[in-house]
Amino acid sequence: MALSHAAKTWWWLVHKDLLRELRAPRAWPAMLILSLALAMVISVQIDSPSDQHLELAGGMFWLAAFFAGTVALDRSFSGEHEQACWQGLLLYPVGPGTLFLAKLAANFLAFCALDVVLVPAFTLLSGVSLFAQPGPFLATALVANLGFSAVGTLVSALTSGLSQRHGLLVLLLFPLVLPVVLGAVQATRAMLVGDFSSWWRWIQLLSCFAAVFVALGTLIFDYLVED
Amino acid sequence: MKRRLSISTISILAASFGVSALLAACGWMIFLFAPREITMGDVQRIVYLHVAVAWCGLAGCVAMGLTAAAYLARRNSVWDHWSQAAGELGWLCATLTLATGSLWAHEAWNTWWTWEPRLTASLVLWTVFAGYFLVRASIEDAQRRARLSAVLAILALADVPLVIMATRWFRGIHPVTPEMDPRMRIVLLISIVSFSALFILLAILRKEQLELAARVLSRERQTGVVN
Repeated sequence: MALSHAAKTWWWLVHKDLLRELRAPRAWPAMLILSLALAMVISVQIDSPSDQHLELAGGMFWLAAFFAGTVALDRSFSGEHEQACWQGLLLYPVGPGTLFLAKLAANFLAFCALDVVLVPAFTLLSGVSLFAQPGPFLATALVANLGFSAVGTLVSALTSGLSQRHGLLVLLLFPLVLPVVLGAVQATRAMLVGDFSSWWRWIQLLSCFAAVFVALGTLIFDYLVED
Repeated sequence: MKRRLSISTISILAASFGVSALLAACGWMIFLFAPREITMGDVQRIVYLHVAVAWCGLAGCVAMGLTAAAYLARRNSVWDHWSQAAGELGWLCATLTLATGSLWAHEAWNTWWTWEPRLTASLVLWTVFAGYFLVRASIEDAQRRARLSAVLAILALADVPLVIMATRWFRGIHPVTPEMDPRMRIVLLISIVSFSALFILLAILRKEQLELAARVLSRERQTGVVN
């Protein structure tokens, strides 16, 4: 019964975030346009696909995705602080763990939307087809996005009320999320060059990292939302 | 009160003499007892300092995270002072690790810096420490500062396995357990013990200093000297 209530609340919170973005788009357009601009700048470095470019394409794609993703993370909590929405949200009978999982899901969906736009754009501009192996790429994108949104949601919540939040978000996020960046880049590289045993090892590392941070976030989110 | 203070002062003085004697013995062993390494010559002796401060940096990060968890559980500011003291000394040791490692790398690899996995992970640890202090510096309210920095310190713990396992996971060139003369192993062990003792002593002194500063501030607020 309690689980069903938590699941329902979780869904309504995710729904609220998506609906707010649909009615008054703020984070997603900026994030998507920034990702396209980054893909364009990066693709200038790749003239024609070669073995060397296959090695580099994963790194370039994920750097563009993660940098653009910080826009959605930045808006994730700062939007709530405007007009005291956050205080209103905390007054509802919602567990902090549920709140964290809802914010995480909203960020995760934002990153998935980002990938949907960025993958064809990157393929078109760079000539490296990331979606040539759809299954492995989808698995990589799912676990990488989950890990990135788990750490990102926590760091975004931590910095949301601070005076220098924009700088601190990026400064704290990238060192903490480096295993995800490394894992996603290496898994994509292994997938593109056809080394699937290596790809599987990186997917395992990414999954472990995501699981640890989702569990840690659910446990410690309470301490971030006290005030 | 007077008696307790004098006993505390005597204990700290005795500990300081003990640690100084240990460090002097360690210095003697590094330069006079340990044999000269055949390939690198005297430059190799920097390893005794490098490994010791690297160990203290990681221990500082673990201590910072564990005492931060204790603060969140107990809400006693003493644990926050312990966490800050461990973090400051950990950051200092991480800085020394990077500096001594860079000096060693210049002789061993003919470069001051390379994006080797363990070096990268150590730099990430340094950045996480720096982020921890930036978060602390950006929050005025002592309780909020302690709470948010405690959450960040717990997240920083995730970087410790990355630093330790970096060379194994990512096949780096950083030595893991090199072959050593037994006398070199003894000196390395003594060096780690000496620097750990110094780390503990400095952590105690810094924690005492932070407590004193908090008491002075509290007294000033009571008397209306500051707001």
